[in-house]
Amino acid sequence: MRGWTRASATTKGMGIMETTTSQIPTLTLDDLETPPLSLSQLAWRRFKRHIPAIVGLVVLGLLVLYAMGGSLFISEKYANFNDTSIRLQSPSAAHPFGTDSIGRDVLARTIYGGQISLLIGLTAVVVETLLGILVGALAGYYGGLVDSILMRITEAMLNIPEIFLLIVMAKYFGGKIPEVDLFGRTFSGSVIVIVLIIGLTSWMYLARIVRAEFLSLKENDFVLAARATGTSNFEIIFRHIMPNSIAPILVSATLGVANAILSEAYISFLGLGVQPPTATWGNMLDGANNYLDSAPWLWFFPGILLLLTVLSINFLGDGLRDALDPRSRAV
Amino acid sequence: MTRYIIRRLLQGIPLLFIISVVLFALMMSVGDPVATMGGRRVTRADDYERLKRQLGLDKPIYVQYIYWLAGNTWTKTDLNGDGIAETPGKRLGILRGDFGISLVDRMPVMQVIGERIPNTLILMLAGELIVILGALIVGVYSAIRQYSVLDHVLTALSFIGYSMPIFFIALISMFVFSVLFKKWGLPYLPTVGMFDPQAGKTITQVIYHMILPVISMSVVSLASYSRYIRSTMLDVLNQDYIRTARSKGLPRRSVIFVHALKNASLPIATIVGLDLPFLLGGAVVTERIFAWPGMGRLFLDHVNRADTPVVMGSLMLVAVAVIIFQIITDVVYAWLDPRIRYD
Amino acid sequence: MIKKSVSYTLFAIFMAASLVLSGCAGKVATQVAGGDTPPMPPTTFPATNVPATTVPEKKVATLIFTQEFDNLSPLYSDMWFVWTTWQMFDHWAWEFDSNNEPFPVLVTEIPSVANGGVNADGTVITMHLRKDIKWSDNVPMTAEDFIFTWQMAVSPQNTVSTTYPYDVISTVEAPDPQTVVVTFSEPFAPWLANLWHGILPAHILSPIYQADGTIDNAEWIKKPTVGCGPYNFAEWETASFARFVRNDNYWGTPAKIDEIFIRFVPDDASQTAALKAGDADMGTFIAYSDVPGLQDAGLKIVIEPSGYNEFMFFTLNPEKNNPALQDVRVRKAIALAINRDGINTDLHFGLTKTPASFWDALPYYNNPALSPYPFDPAQAKSLLDAAGWIDSDGDGIRDKDGVKLEISHATTIREDRQDVQAVMQQDLADVGIKLDVNPVDDTLFFASYADNGPAARGEFDIQEWSDGPLFPDPDIYYWLCDQIPTDASPVGDNWFYICDEQLDSLIKLQSTQVDPIARQATISQINQLFYDKVYIIGMWQDPDVYALGSRLQNVKFSGVTMFYNIAEWDLVP
Repeated sequence: MRGWTRASATTKGMGIMETTTSQIPTLTLDDLETPPLSLSQLAWRRFKRHIPAIVGLVVLGLLVLYAMGGSLFISEKYANFNDTSIRLQSPSAAHPFGTDSIGRDVLARTIYGGQISLLIGLTAVVVETLLGILVGALAGYYGGLVDSILMRITEAMLNIPEIFLLIVMAKYFGGKIPEVDLFGRTFSGSVIVIVLIIGLTSWMYLARIVRAEFLSLKENDFVLAARATGTSNFEIIFRHIMPNSIAPILVSATLGVANAILSEAYISFLGLGVQPPTATWGNMLDGANNYLDSAPWLWFFPGILLLLTVLSINFLGDGLRDALDPRSRAV
Repeated sequence: MTRYIIRRLLQGIPLLFIISVVLFALMMSVGDPVATMGGRRVTRADDYERLKRQLGLDKPIYVQYIYWLAGNTWTKTDLNGDGIAETPGKRLGILRGDFGISLVDRMPVMQVIGERIPNTLILMLAGELIVILGALIVGVYSAIRQYSVLDHVLTALSFIGYSMPIFFIALISMFVFSVLFKKWGLPYLPTVGMFDPQAGKTITQVIYHMILPVISMSVVSLASYSRYIRSTMLDVLNQDYIRTARSKGLPRRSVIFVHALKNASLPIATIVGLDLPFLLGGAVVTERIFAWPGMGRLFLDHVNRADTPVVMGSLMLVAVAVIIFQIITDVVYAWLDPRIRYD
Repeated sequence: MIKKSVSYTLFAIFMAASLVLSGCAGKVATQVAGGDTPPMPPTTFPATNVPATTVPEKKVATLIFTQEFDNLSPLYSDMWFVWTTWQMFDHWAWEFDSNNEPFPVLVTEIPSVANGGVNADGTVITMHLRKDIKWSDNVPMTAEDFIFTWQMAVSPQNTVSTTYPYDVISTVEAPDPQTVVVTFSEPFAPWLANLWHGILPAHILSPIYQADGTIDNAEWIKKPTVGCGPYNFAEWETASFARFVRNDNYWGTPAKIDEIFIRFVPDDASQTAALKAGDADMGTFIAYSDVPGLQDAGLKIVIEPSGYNEFMFFTLNPEKNNPALQDVRVRKAIALAINRDGINTDLHFGLTKTPASFWDALPYYNNPALSPYPFDPAQAKSLLDAAGWIDSDGDGIRDKDGVKLEISHATTIREDRQDVQAVMQQDLADVGIKLDVNPVDDTLFFASYADNGPAARGEFDIQEWSDGPLFPDPDIYYWLCDQIPTDASPVGDNWFYICDEQLDSLIKLQSTQVDPIARQATISQINQLFYDKVYIIGMWQDPDVYALGSRLQNVKFSGVTMFYNIAEWDLVP
């Protein structure tokens, strides 16, 4: 974005001046070469060409609007209001998505559930990314003993099956964290537990990727130069090498959100996820297990919303990966 | 390289110790195996005391860990509750190959696990094979015919595939292909189990019952593997040496399969190699839904009953397999790619 | 551009297709009619005349169990799923029919004071065994087997699941091979319901016990190949299935069905799918939400009272729990504020009712019959006002002297319980009480006092789970004062921290009263006490719910010895 338009104007201007003075139209070197595009410009151009990614972005935006904006129209009290006499009604004018097993409006629950699902996805990824970057950068940069120890820890964590950690942590922290009040909503402490669990069980993959990036990047000349000028290790890691490896981190983080949302559904199936009455798309799907054919609206709507969210995030991540791929020649 | 292997193996031993300690400590917080003993009622107080003593659960955690690790033949246990330990212990401990006795069904752990491993391997290996083959076909085709119609269709399908929670796929497919197809008079698949008890455990029965679980499991992995293969193939196909090979006039088939695929298969082999040991763990959700008698179900059932010996036994088995396979994968990776160097 | 849009059209078609499929998937759940019929004992099938077929094809019935047995031996398991199998290959001395009335099986008649089987003060019980009983290997059953069973139950070398009631027996003697004399040190009223739940074969296990010092590792415990029931154990493949074949050596009427398979299917939705597809003939522990769908598919739902009911128990530890609950008016207000009938009618399709008494499944002891507190939020509010709890700060929650009326409630993680928690939260919020819900995983919930089990430590004001007396005996022991766990004596079953002198003495009295009339009077007093002091709130009945396929005939269930008439079951192709 280095004054692209201005440079082009001057170039063009010079070109025109050139032609008027010499009668023979010659193109200057400036006309043949455009200023090089920065990484973000290049990435944006490539991203724009990736139709699924654009679609994903739009759909995701709509879904976020649905979940967050919906609460402006429907109060939480309405979402939690149950009336067992109108339970399991199919979609109607009063309840466009039907009612659930104790008579709550499914539409309202998908809105508030969506908030929690998206929240879990985002915060779990923040936890996971921070941990992954920290471990991967330190292991990759310092190498030697530090690398050994950190990689053994990573391996140990990878060895313990995720399902075991999920079950154990969910059981252990189960009733211990009380209800939390955030942004005017009260939700069960198990949300925090789930965020921590998902974050603590998925950082290993990012750590390995970051470590691999660091291992190869630290051999480069610019690192040598930075060291020669006496830059501190901390600065080298975070100001010099890190920005060059932002691409896989960004892609991994984006796909991690999708993964976190799916993991939440998975844990809910085992009964250990966010506990009702706080709704999430995952535990709504789990609650629909006994009503697969008798009340399909119970799983259809949260299922579609979940699918669309995860799908659009995956498309987005795929687009980002293609756009940020340093080895791709496409412009 | 030999030094590297030996070093990794030696590093693996303390790792296993640490894993076992962490897992054992975590198992203590999973619940109380004697609380209900699977019954509908809480265990009576005096039975509770007696059972805890008889099963060795009244000892402090570190003592229980030592007994699990090295046995208790050198010490005496108090079986009749008089406070005096008089019976010599019979456990040998895992270091001597005794995985212990399950708290749930009082059978030796190795027997319990041994009965389930073949069932799991049948399911998981079949699934893995289908996933690899399918992903190769889909991924290579997508890469060669990038941006074609079929590529887009396959891309869309694979995205949908790994955007759905697996239990959802499993339940819906069970419902559609077993219950609904039967209702509509179409040829249908069986719902649950590994075989029909009346027909016996024949190969056709097992395959017939395996179709739905394998499909449910594979959809997700196939989607992600095929995307991965597609992107590595694309990477390779854009390389200069491929362009050289094409310009030299080599037949397309040779270019793709001999030159491109061989180079693309390196990261694929890594991924597969790292996934293999986890096959031992089975697929918890799929096995539960389809009532497949495998390791995943063993794990879930026994964790729910807080059965420490069985859970520890199966987790340690998986941990050992993971460590060994990681070493194998790293070695194979280094051998295939001469640019990788280990100090 | 065109090519890409094709793929998205296909995507849209796929979505539409799944919508159509789900629409065809079935009818909307209809409310099951008959909301005011009480849970009936299972109806018998009309006897069908099956014409004698020329080709006798093997009759094989498949049952689904949602949990796998941990072993198959009497004495070694508390699992419901193991208890049900005992009637297949083993017998109790006397078993219980579909009305939960005892009838003699291994004995010639049930001992009573009238026939001299029970002595005057109820401390000696004499049983006369039938002469024709033999084990499947032709060895006759004698009193030796009974004595051996008792010895194994109380032996400290055996890891039996419970020693009750064998540990209160002084001696078991056999004056002759067909007579068993049981002597108690004190009159023991619950003997009829609790003694002789399965007999061990002495001729097989005694040598093992002599050699090993324990029968824990005996093959018979997991694979009881020798039995005395209508079926013989054939095989058990873990996690997969178990098979029982007809015992052709049976001393009674031979069974009609040739083989019984039991499949283990842990997931509810999978069990329902298997039943609907006809892959099995019987399902167990059917969830109420599945009932309409199964009935539509042509299965019969049978409900058998099992003695269990779902209760909310108040924990009244003055140090730990909300002091508001010490006031009986607050407890009564809570009982009045929750629409329990609505829960039973709407969520359980009227298949269960609100239990008024802890002995709801034993109507003899619920006499005169109590009826549960009605749904009356207005009265609840006035009770709370009278008790001094008013909403002084307008936040919707009542308070008094700076303490808010916030009650903590805990139960295990189960969908139906959590659904009800949400309904209760709303009902109680309507009268100004805030209910904090805490679902806890069940192995953690029921952990002992020493293991910091939250229920044992009385951490929550209200605990909820399904319980009942020692059915079919009315004995209880939870509320005894000496059963309150403390640091000094951490074993104790009174997790409610209630020490009520009157209640304590009544409970101790009833367990010694061998005379049913006297016992009925005592228990009626306990019932009245529970009602007046609102120590418990009954939520719903928790019977055994079975689903029967159309092929099975003559099936009856008991709440105690579930498959008691398994020899009469028949299969119609």
